[in-house]
Amino acid sequence: MLGKKARSLAAFPLGVMLAFAFYMLPGVVGMAHAKQVFAESAFAEEAFAKEAGAEEQKAAEEGPKVEWSNDVFYKDWEGNPLKGIVSGAPAPELTDTDYNHYDFAPSRIVIWISNQQHLYMGSFVLAVPIFVMVIEFIGIRCKERDPILSRKYDKLAHDLMKVSMSAYSWTAILGGILLFTFITLFPGFFKYLASVFRPVMHVYALMFLAESGILYVYYYGWDKMEHDPFLKWIHCSLSVLLNLVGTVLMYLANSWATFMQAPGGIDEKGRFLGNIWHVIHSTLWNPVGVHRILGNIVFGGGIVGAYAAYHFLNAETKEEKAHYDWVGYVAMFIAVAGLIPLPFAGYWLMKEVYAFRQQMGITLMGGIMAWLFIIQAVMVGLLFFGANSYLHNSMSRVKGSHRYMKYVKYMILLLILSFTMWMTPHTIVMTPAELKEMGGAQHPVVGVFGVMSAKNTAVNLMITCTVLCFLLYQRANKKITVPWATVGNCWLSAIFVWAAANIVYLGVYGYWLPANQRVGLSVPQVSSTLTTLFVGTAINSSMFKDADSYGEIEWGNQSKVGAYAMFLLAVAFTWMMGLMGYIRSSVRLFWHVTEVVRDNSPDAYTLTIGEAGKILTFNALFVWVQFIILFWIGGLSGKKAKAHDEVPEAVPVPAQQQQ
Amino acid sequence: MLPEQHDILFSFLTIVFTVFSVIVFINVVQQCKARKDASKAWPVIFGAFILANALFTRHMFTLVQQDQMSFFKWQALTVFVLLLTWGMFFKSENIEKQSPTMIRGMFFWMMVSLPLAGYANWLPQQRSDPPPKAAAITGEMTMEQYTEMGRVIVFGAQQVAGQKAIGKGQCPLCHTFDPGDNMGRCPNLFGVEERSHNRVKEDRYKNQPIKVGETDPASGVKKGATSGEEYLRESLQCPSCYVVEGFGGAGDTKSPMPVIVKPPISLDPVELNAVIAWLQSKETPGDFAKVTVPLPSASDAAAQPKKEAASEGEKPVFVTGSEPVDQMINTLGCPLCHTIPGVEGAVGELGPKLFEKVNAPKRIKDPRYKGKATNTKEYIRESILTPGVYIVKNDETGELYPDGVMPQDFKNKLSIEALDKLVDFISQTEPPPAG
Repeated sequence: MLGKKARSLAAFPLGVMLAFAFYMLPGVVGMAHAKQVFAESAFAEEAFAKEAGAEEQKAAEEGPKVEWSNDVFYKDWEGNPLKGIVSGAPAPELTDTDYNHYDFAPSRIVIWISNQQHLYMGSFVLAVPIFVMVIEFIGIRCKERDPILSRKYDKLAHDLMKVSMSAYSWTAILGGILLFTFITLFPGFFKYLASVFRPVMHVYALMFLAESGILYVYYYGWDKMEHDPFLKWIHCSLSVLLNLVGTVLMYLANSWATFMQAPGGIDEKGRFLGNIWHVIHSTLWNPVGVHRILGNIVFGGGIVGAYAAYHFLNAETKEEKAHYDWVGYVAMFIAVAGLIPLPFAGYWLMKEVYAFRQQMGITLMGGIMAWLFIIQAVMVGLLFFGANSYLHNSMSRVKGSHRYMKYVKYMILLLILSFTMWMTPHTIVMTPAELKEMGGAQHPVVGVFGVMSAKNTAVNLMITCTVLCFLLYQRANKKITVPWATVGNCWLSAIFVWAAANIVYLGVYGYWLPANQRVGLSVPQVSSTLTTLFVGTAINSSMFKDADSYGEIEWGNQSKVGAYAMFLLAVAFTWMMGLMGYIRSSVRLFWHVTEVVRDNSPDAYTLTIGEAGKILTFNALFVWVQFIILFWIGGLSGKKAKAHDEVPEAVPVPAQQQQ
Repeated sequence: MLPEQHDILFSFLTIVFTVFSVIVFINVVQQCKARKDASKAWPVIFGAFILANALFTRHMFTLVQQDQMSFFKWQALTVFVLLLTWGMFFKSENIEKQSPTMIRGMFFWMMVSLPLAGYANWLPQQRSDPPPKAAAITGEMTMEQYTEMGRVIVFGAQQVAGQKAIGKGQCPLCHTFDPGDNMGRCPNLFGVEERSHNRVKEDRYKNQPIKVGETDPASGVKKGATSGEEYLRESLQCPSCYVVEGFGGAGDTKSPMPVIVKPPISLDPVELNAVIAWLQSKETPGDFAKVTVPLPSASDAAAQPKKEAASEGEKPVFVTGSEPVDQMINTLGCPLCHTIPGVEGAVGELGPKLFEKVNAPKRIKDPRYKGKATNTKEYIRESILTPGVYIVKNDETGELYPDGVMPQDFKNKLSIEALDKLVDFISQTEPPPAG
């Protein structure tokens, strides 16, 4: 038995070895064969390389075929134009046959509208995941401390993603429309742009695929990953990934626009010089990217604010009102947080524009585009107006605010006066006869308010008034108890009175100074305003130490006017975004790609301000029609779920217990 | 938008208004069903509003933009009446609850957005056409015409109230030209002719930022002007060959000025010389003794690309009032359509004959006349600036002359002086004596 057993034991490894040998045999034979094939192949390749090398050597001896050319933007370390190997065809001299058009509208208007609608939607769907990431993160962090609030944040984030989901596919559709419009109406130019950006366009499409995949996992996995803390962190990480991919997508698309405005990586004839990174990373790429991220946050905040205001006005229960009042407040907070650094990104962008071509910067700020900045100034005034109005009306939800409400009417009066002065133009459209009748381009009385002295005074007063409004809102429900309360209040009053007096005095004094000296007065005026902001806020906040509270904030008690103030802010953001986009794009004037590809279409002109204003208004209204439809679609599933939930309950659920 | 196309904003608004009237109608029908005492006339009334708005919308799409804008007020009025009627239907009670929030929101957005479009139209309007690829030269020119060509390249032909006009050369974006005027961006060019002769003799010119004889890498120009004219040309073709103190970057070695013969400005040699000729003569009006550049010859004109002939039409027309009146009339193209006594070759037949000393007083008294003029000169001024106010009847055919043929943009082509001069002249035109 043992011998048999031993044999059978010895037979097992033998069998295994035989099986292994049998298994290996074809491999060994195959390998030997492969080695032979490889040797033959290597020999052939070597021979080919020798042959090719000989040909190349011959070609090199005959003369170099590669052509070098100077980059239109990039410089080498000595400051001379960077040289690159010509790797593309020259830009075409476009003719009538390179453009198509419809009878109902000029092609440039059609492409403008397609582009702007896509950008609005794109901006929204890129902004929402940023909010959602932050809100979800806050929700996770405060879970242990305040589970109800944490749940509230999580629900808000989920709701926002729901709206964003319908907007996402809508954005893709609008992107398709934009692409087809571009290909069909500007085929010649598109061909050139596609030849330069070919690989970028493919990467863009792949990134879009990645964005969609992550978005679907993120949204549809929300409920499944909600309860396990580890999975919840994974879920939150997905939002980071989603934002990263979204940002890359936006930057890739930005590269086409920034290349058109300030090209790099090509020579004067428009020939690609072989380095795709130079083409992507042209001089305006970074500032435009940063500016757009911040702009998206502001715009997205405005839309979510309007969404909340819409639901606030529609709400039938106190709980709903409270929820959407709070959502609106969060959205406004996010929008303002994005708005504060936005001008600095704008300055950076403008600095780079000047660095690229000074005359492009001057065309923007002092040439044909300058009047558009006057409209931008009016929009800024409108934003201040909306922000103040929102703060005034928000006070009604804060207990103790009655102490300050009596000042509101004076602040509104000051804002109206300042805003009127702010938007009074220097000159207006007039017929020669009217011009003659008035005795010049400026009206003898109203014209006084059209100059820089009046404008600086008006805007500084508006900002100071907003700061004051913010400080009052901060302290509305606080009963100050610090022993130096009277001294602090006196200081605060003194700072604001001094700042206002200084601003007005310098404004009036400016009328007696020549223009080049008058410009210098804006610095002390702005300093006065900033003093109220920084010193005023510091003193105000210091006074809150050990302060008693008049009571909790009563969400849902905001007046309806506050909701309309949010609408106003949303419309102002929308209009201003369109306006600034138009300014940035149209500063190319009659070039598709500045100084390289001339626009030879019948639409190469730059529109009058009035014409542009009408298209901007159309764009703003049209996109809001779409947003309303999206809100409505987003609300359909909510209504269904709500109806289902409410049947067994039959009584309203308090906000704190809502899940 | 082109004048013959629809206005996108007004087309959009007319559709919105019609949709709005449908929504109101649905609301009223629902209310009537709920209220037993409601009159059946209400749905009919609101149905009529739908019909009216639909007809307005249909009509709006038959109009072009200018007409759409003037017609739109009627639809706006109808919507206003619709709102009032809707208020009456609810007896002013609880109106806000009756309309969906989205409708109120949309109205609010329109109330904010539309004034912004209005404000944009209130400001000075300037359309910027692409510059011709090169100025058209036909035939021989005088030096006066040539320097004028240079002035137009610098300032453009079209003037806008309250703005510094900017031509193809874009010079006024940074330079000033009057004594004491200083924008701080680039040197004031008052007295540049005189300075140009002295500059080439200065040591700073000979050595900074590059020495005479060296080549500027950015423009490829070899520095070495020896006369005023050469200095001016060199400054335009190679701005960094010499940088005026305080106006350059990197220690006054790099000029911010673009190379004028390269994109985006791309002046050709003839245009470059025209600018130099204007710079040399601008402080001595009418005296061209200091101009050293040659006039463009026929061979220069012939050497220009064929496309330039086509760009003649792109050159904006503008008369300043300093020209003789017949030249002004010819520049504006009036003789193509009008017969004008006293102007040679003005025998056009498409428009009325200009015998305004006799005709204008009669037309003001015509019952068809709806304008504001009370005398001959006012009538002529009105007819030039807004030709559609009164359409003259053709006595030979008994029909009105076609409307819309006369250009509407003369206000952009005439200075105040030119308009006054033209009106004075036309107010004296009368039929030639019989026989």
